[in-house]
Amino acid sequence: MDLSFTQEDIAFRARVRKWFEENLPKDELKSLDERVAWHRKLYAAGYVGMGWPKEYGGQDARPMEQAIVQDEMARVNAPSTVNGLGLSIVGPTIIHHGTPEQKSRFLRKIMNAEEIWCQLFSEPNAGSDLAALKCRADDKGDHWEINGQKVWTSGGFIADWGILLARTDQNVPKHQGISFFLINMRQPGIDVRPLKQITGGSEFCEVFFTKSRVEKDHLIGKLNQGWQIAQTTLGFERGAGTLNRVTTYLMSLRRLVDVCRSLKVNGHTAIEDAAVRQKIGRAYVELEVMRYAGLRILSRLEKGQRPGPESSIAKLYYSEYDKRYHHWVMEILGPYGNLLEGTPAAYAEETGSGASGRHGVWGVDFLQSFGPTIYAGSSQIQKNIIGERVLGLPKEVRTDRIEIAKQKGG
Amino acid sequence: MDFDFTSDQVMLRNTVREYLTDKCTSQFVRSMFDDQAGYSKAMWKEMADNGWLGLTFPEDNGGLGLGQVELSMILEEMGRAVLPSPYFASVVLAGAAIADAGDKAQKDKYLGGIGSGELIATMGWLEDATSWGPGAINLKAESGGGGFVLNGLKRFVPFAHVADVAIVAARTSSKPDGITLFAVDMKSQGVATTPVTNMDLTSKAAEVSFSNVRVPEENVIGDVDGGWPVLKRLLDKAAVSAAAEMLGASRKSMEMSVDYAKVRETFGQPIGTFQAIKHMAADMLVEVESSHGAVYYASWAQAAGAPDASLAASVAKAYVGDASRKVCGDSIQLHGGIGFTWEFDLHLYFKRAKYYEPMFGDADYHREQALRTLEAETK
Ligand SMILES: Cc1cc2nc3c(=O)[nH]c(=O)nc-3n(C[C@H](O)[C@H](O)[C@H](O)COP(=O)(O)OP(=O)(O)OC[C@H]3O[C@@H](n4cnc5c(N)ncnc54)[C@H](O)[C@@H]3O)c2cc1C
Repeated sequence: MDLSFTQEDIAFRARVRKWFEENLPKDELKSLDERVAWHRKLYAAGYVGMGWPKEYGGQDARPMEQAIVQDEMARVNAPSTVNGLGLSIVGPTIIHHGTPEQKSRFLRKIMNAEEIWCQLFSEPNAGSDLAALKCRADDKGDHWEINGQKVWTSGGFIADWGILLARTDQNVPKHQGISFFLINMRQPGIDVRPLKQITGGSEFCEVFFTKSRVEKDHLIGKLNQGWQIAQTTLGFERGAGTLNRVTTYLMSLRRLVDVCRSLKVNGHTAIEDAAVRQKIGRAYVELEVMRYAGLRILSRLEKGQRPGPESSIAKLYYSEYDKRYHHWVMEILGPYGNLLEGTPAAYAEETGSGASGRHGVWGVDFLQSFGPTIYAGSSQIQKNIIGERVLGLPKEVRTDRIEIAKQKGG
Repeated sequence: MDFDFTSDQVMLRNTVREYLTDKCTSQFVRSMFDDQAGYSKAMWKEMADNGWLGLTFPEDNGGLGLGQVELSMILEEMGRAVLPSPYFASVVLAGAAIADAGDKAQKDKYLGGIGSGELIATMGWLEDATSWGPGAINLKAESGGGGFVLNGLKRFVPFAHVADVAIVAARTSSKPDGITLFAVDMKSQGVATTPVTNMDLTSKAAEVSFSNVRVPEENVIGDVDGGWPVLKRLLDKAAVSAAAEMLGASRKSMEMSVDYAKVRETFGQPIGTFQAIKHMAADMLVEVESSHGAVYYASWAQAAGAPDASLAASVAKAYVGDASRKVCGDSIQLHGGIGFTWEFDLHLYFKRAKYYEPMFGDADYHREQALRTLEAETK
C-alpha cells in the first residue's frame, strides 16, 4: 500500500498546471465554434483522448495521467472538451468492436471534434428496461431503414452522428433482437426536438426517425449482438473522472465557506453557526471519502485491472452525494438559494473562471443534481446490480424473465 | 499509487483472522462478560508471542517496527471478532504515547514489557466533560518533593482495573494547553479504581481517582507543559485505530446479513429477493467499502506522515462512526426478531462499534475539525 503520487506524476502535474495557467481562455466560450477551437487546442497539447492508442491519435496515457489532467482542469474551472460522449464511449466502442474501415472513418474525427456524437439508447418506454426498446431497423438490401423514437438524447441538437440501439429481430426474446448502429444525424427523416429541462435549459432532446438511413457498413459488431456491445459500452466507466469530480466539489465547497463568511443567520455570520458548520463539515468529510474511493479505483486501473464492484459503488455514492450536498447548500442559503437572478455577488456561486467569468447561482446546480441518480443506471438499478451481482442475493422475480423462460421452453 | 495491501500485510491479516476465528469464539466472548479481568491471560501471552503487542514499537525495544496500516489491519480483525482484551489500552494508547514521547530510559523500561505482555498499560485523559480539547483536562499536578503530586479524577479509563501503569494527562499550568503526561504506577498510594459497566460488556473500564499521588520527576513523558501536542497526535492515531475496529464490526455484520438474506424465506422466497432488503444490503456495502477507503487512507497518511494525516483521521472517525452505527443497526433490522435477541451475536458488533463512536471525538467533533482545515485553506 502506497498512496503517494510518484515523482513522475508530480512532475507531470506541474507541467499540466503551467499549461492551463498559460492557455486558459480569458473570456467565456459562447459559440459552438469557440468550444470546438478550445477542444482542438487541448488536443494539440495532448490533453484530449489521452487514453486512446497512439495509432488512433491518442497518447497511450496511463489512467493516472488522464486523472491528473482532468483534476487540473477542474481546479481552474476550465471549459470541458466538446465531444465528451464521442471520446468516452463512442471511440472506445469503435476501437474494441469496430472494423478497420470504421476505425479509419470515424476515430480521428471524434478526436478533433470534427464530428460530434450523441447516444440514442433510451425510448419513452425503454429506460431502465432498455432492452424493451421498439425503434426498428429493417434490412432494405443496400441499407438499414430506421423508424421509431428516442428520448432524453443529450446534445442531440448539436450532434452529427449518433450511436443507436434498434430492434432487428421482432421474434426473439427482447435482449436477443437488438443491434448497434452508427447513424448520421444530418439527413432527412430525422427530427430532433429539444426538450426543456427542470433547470430551464435544453440539453437533451427527443429524436424521431422516419425512414432514416443507416449504411450497411455502419453496423457495429454482429447483427443482433447489440445488447452485449451496449453492455461493454456502458462499462467504459470514467475511472479517470473521479478526481476531477472531487476537485469540482472542493472548489464549490471553498466558495461556500467564503459565502458563509458574509451571509447572516440568527444575528451572526453563517460560518459561526453550529448547524451550518456541521452541514459543511459533513459535506467535506463525505467528499474526502469520495476522493479515497477515487484513488482506490485509479490504483486498480493503474495495474491494468478493470474496476469491479467499485464502479457501481462509486456511481451510487457520487450521484447521491450530489443531491445531498446541494440540498445542504440550499438549506444554508435559505431564500438566496431560490434566486435565479439577483443574487448579491457575495452570496453567488463562483463558477467564474477566466473561461466563463460569470457569477453562477447555486439553485441551478441544485436542480441539476436530480439528473445523476436517474441517468447511467438509476440509483435503484445500481442497488439491484450491487445486490445481485456483487453480494450474490437472489434475483427478483420478473415477469419478462418468466416470458423468456416460457419462450425457451417452447 | 497502490491502494492494495502487500502480500506481507495480507499474510499478517490472514494469520490474525485464523487465530481469532479459532480462539475468539462467540462463546469465549460471552464468557468474558462477567469475567473479573475481562480478558484471557493465555491468549494475551500468545498474542505477545505472535508479535502483535509490540507490532508498532521500535525493534530496539523488541517490537516489529510496523506502522499504522498493519495496526489497523489487526484492529479490524479484532473488531470482527469483538476480541475482549486490553490491546487498545495498552498498545494503541499507552504504548504509542511512550513510543512517541518517552525518553530512552522510559522506552527501555516500559515498551519491552508491554510488547511481551508482562506489563499492561492504559491511558487516562477523559474527565467530567465529554469534550476533547485540552480545556477538558483539569486533573492537577503540582511540582514538589522532586516530583509531582496528582489530585483529581479520570473517567472511562479502559482496562484500568488490570493495568500496571497508566499514562495520565494532567494540568501543570493555567495556560490553555498546559498539559503534562505522567506514567503513574497503578499501585501508587492514593490511586483508586472503581469499575464502570459499558454497553459493550467486553470493553471493560474504570473510573480512577488520584488523591495526593506522588509521581517522580523521571516519570514525566515528554516535556513538562508539552503534553498536549503529544496527546493530540495520539488522539488522531486513536481515532484511526477506533475506526478500524468499527470497520471490522460493520463488515462482519454486513456479511452475516447478506448470508441471512439468502436463506431466510418469507412469502415463498428468500427475503434477499425483495428490493427493500436488497437495497439495504447494497447500501451496507457502499458504507463498508467507503469506510475501508477512509480507514486505510488515514492509516497510510499516519504512517507516511502525509500533510493531510490529521484531516484524514478526522474524516475516518466521523465517517466510519456514522457508517458503522448504520450498518450494524440495519443488520439488526434485517434479521427481524432474532436480531433483537441476546443469544444472537449481532448486538456484540453493534455495541463494539457503538463503544468507539463517542471515543476520541464523535462525528460532530471531527466534522468540526475537518471544516477548520477547509477554512484554513480558504483564508
Ligand atoms: C439528464 C439526463 C440525460 C440523459 N441523457 C441520455 C442520453 O444522452 N441518451 C440516452 O439514451 N438516454 C439518456 N438519458 C436517459 C436515462 O438513461 C433514463 O432516464 C434512465 O435509463 C431511466 O429510464 P426512465 O427515465 O425511463 O425511467 P424508468 O425506467 O421508467 O424508471 C422510473 C423509476 O423507476 C425506477 N425503476 C425502474 N426499474 C426498476 C427496477 N427494476 N427496480 C427498482 N426500481 C426501478 C427507476 O429507478 C426510477 O426511479 C438521460 C437522462 C437524464 C435524466
